[in-house]
Amino acid sequence: MAGKSGRTIQSVQKNSLKSTLLSWEGALAILFIALNIFNSIISPSYTVTNVLREMPKYLCEIFMLFPMAYILILGDIDISVGSIVCLSATMGCFVCNTGLPVGLSFLTCLAVGTLCGLLNGIILTTFTELPAMIVTLGTQIIFRGIAEITLGSGGSVSLKNTAGYNAIAGKVGIVPIVFFLVIIAAVIFTVILAKTTFGRKLYAIGSNRTAAHYAGINVQKCRLIVYTIMGLMAGLCGMFLTSALFGANTTTGQNFEMDVIAMAVFGGIATTGGKGNLIGGIISAFIIVLLRIALGQINLNSQLILVIIGALLIIAVLIPGISSSFKAKQKMKAVE
Amino acid sequence: MKKKIITVMLAVAMTASLLAGCGSSSSTSTATADTAVAATSAAATEATSEATAAATSAGAAAATEATGGMDATGKTFAIVVKSAGNPYNEKEIEGFKAVIEAAGGTCISKEPEAATADAQVSVIQSLISQGVNSISIAANDENALQSALQDAMNAGIKVSCFDSKVNADSRQTFVNQAGTQEIGQALMDAVLDISGGSGQFAILSATSQATNQNAWIDAMKSLMESDSKYANLELVEVAYGDDEPQKSTDQTQALLTNYPDLKVICAPTTVGISAAAKVLQDQKSTVKLTGLGLPSEMAEYIGDDDAHSCPYMFLWNPIELGDLAAYTAIALVNGGITGATGEKFTAGDMGDYTLTDAGDNGSEIILGPPFEFNADNIADWKDVY
Repeated sequence: MAGKSGRTIQSVQKNSLKSTLLSWEGALAILFIALNIFNSIISPSYTVTNVLREMPKYLCEIFMLFPMAYILILGDIDISVGSIVCLSATMGCFVCNTGLPVGLSFLTCLAVGTLCGLLNGIILTTFTELPAMIVTLGTQIIFRGIAEITLGSGGSVSLKNTAGYNAIAGKVGIVPIVFFLVIIAAVIFTVILAKTTFGRKLYAIGSNRTAAHYAGINVQKCRLIVYTIMGLMAGLCGMFLTSALFGANTTTGQNFEMDVIAMAVFGGIATTGGKGNLIGGIISAFIIVLLRIALGQINLNSQLILVIIGALLIIAVLIPGISSSFKAKQKMKAVE
Repeated sequence: MKKKIITVMLAVAMTASLLAGCGSSSSTSTATADTAVAATSAAATEATSEATAAATSAGAAAATEATGGMDATGKTFAIVVKSAGNPYNEKEIEGFKAVIEAAGGTCISKEPEAATADAQVSVIQSLISQGVNSISIAANDENALQSALQDAMNAGIKVSCFDSKVNADSRQTFVNQAGTQEIGQALMDAVLDISGGSGQFAILSATSQATNQNAWIDAMKSLMESDSKYANLELVEVAYGDDEPQKSTDQTQALLTNYPDLKVICAPTTVGISAAAKVLQDQKSTVKLTGLGLPSEMAEYIGDDDAHSCPYMFLWNPIELGDLAAYTAIALVNGGITGATGEKFTAGDMGDYTLTDAGDNGSEIILGPPFEFNADNIADWKDVY
């Protein structure tokens, strides 16, 4: 089945060692190892204990990478997730501060996130002609606006009872609990994308939405499901972020959407849809996080760190483009 | 195709140069750490203060004496400000760094990537990894840093805040730039001085709920009641410009219309004072202005003659705030203070300070009376912040 710009979906995946190493994911894995060596050379503080302790805040973001990858593979985008994080964290804090059991506060985070995601999904699937970028830009402003109204004049709420949130911010040995949850979520989302019909449907829709529709795939149902899951995971992110910040404020989750999209794109997931896989996304997420931690440890100017990550991102999207046009030229020559 | 290759090469070259940059900066920081370690070990083996003095440079030793025996040799002090590219924050860092380095310590200054609590959490975690001795922070949120700062304190790091505080559970002490009483006193005395001892004055504040402004205005009111030298002054109105330039302008106009005998307007807010200054100066009004303002915004209105609307105004000096934050950090690390209310310490040539109750179950150190900006010094300060 040929999609737009000549992409094909293979019915059988090739798994030879050579192709694995030459793939984008293989290159990322090598980069990951090289980065760790580089990091431990430049920073004397780059130890397993320190890195794991610095990681939870970034791990919260990785929760959102998985559904974001699905959305990008669909050829859509969701830039409202940072605001969903803010709104769900805010609501969770308020519920917790009323004295209700902390479990209810967790549920609130997840429910608010899911509802926000569902709303995005309903708007996008009811009015299919609307661009996802603009709709989620609108909801981004709306969700953060609601959070700011709820937060009131101080712009910040803090947990009165931190016991429950302390529990989820806890550690097993030196490994934070959230790390295990990220790994579990990573496995579930990767398997669904790679091994189930639902996963294959997402690729089909992203490759050619019209063709997928005529092939009998319920495109809008898939989009609705994925956007709702996105909301749920943003709520989960909000819940764990609350445990790290002991509260929420108007800047909670700011720019998270861009961080998450950057991780996905660096992992080889194309924003045009139909291309990429989660293994690449997950490796690249850890590459970005570890790079930020190490550069932070050597006290590099924080703006310079952003510049470096931005430059890496551009290189990451340039390389596949160049290599494919190179291959195309080779083919042309062979024909001549 | 060629263009693309050139682009990639350029990008690679840029990244490479960036990486080279961080390589060199890391090596210098290790070098300072090494010398610091060498200095400490020398001190340990010789066990005399002379040995430490000899290990560090003569200049540093002299400075150590000048700072009233505050020795920070071999210790690392971190300062975390609110955001990058903020001249006010840069002045705080400048003051902090000068004191720490004069005392023989190593200073790490950190500007978070965004002016958010999230970004400051990452910075704090990174500093814990580096094993610094002390963190001094100007917080972007009062409560959100609690978890990270408690991690730091559990790791044995001394935590103090300055400029903008964190809650009492997240800190050992707070270096407060603006004691409510000191600000109220300075503003009342300015009104008394400018009005010539008697007459009507008005206050142009921010919003009616603004915590800081209300505390200062209350302090002014209680001073008027308690001290008879203010008896001939009459506070006619507290107007609220909501910290919006247009509304502050309108409120100033209304004050001028409603009170023809008005002598002085006192605006304890940077937005209010600059709006009022413009109105008064444009209308060549005889009403004079004082309050709290930013030198950069107020430079063209400050002067002793009738052509200028504001004879003098106040704000704290960010360099001195940085200095005091540094002395506080050193005292905490050396065990001179623990952060309990009532403790005393000597902040080098700045004199003696006492830790007082901050009213939130924590302690604070008040920098002192606010700094006066007048016709003589405004030229030096207008480019600063």
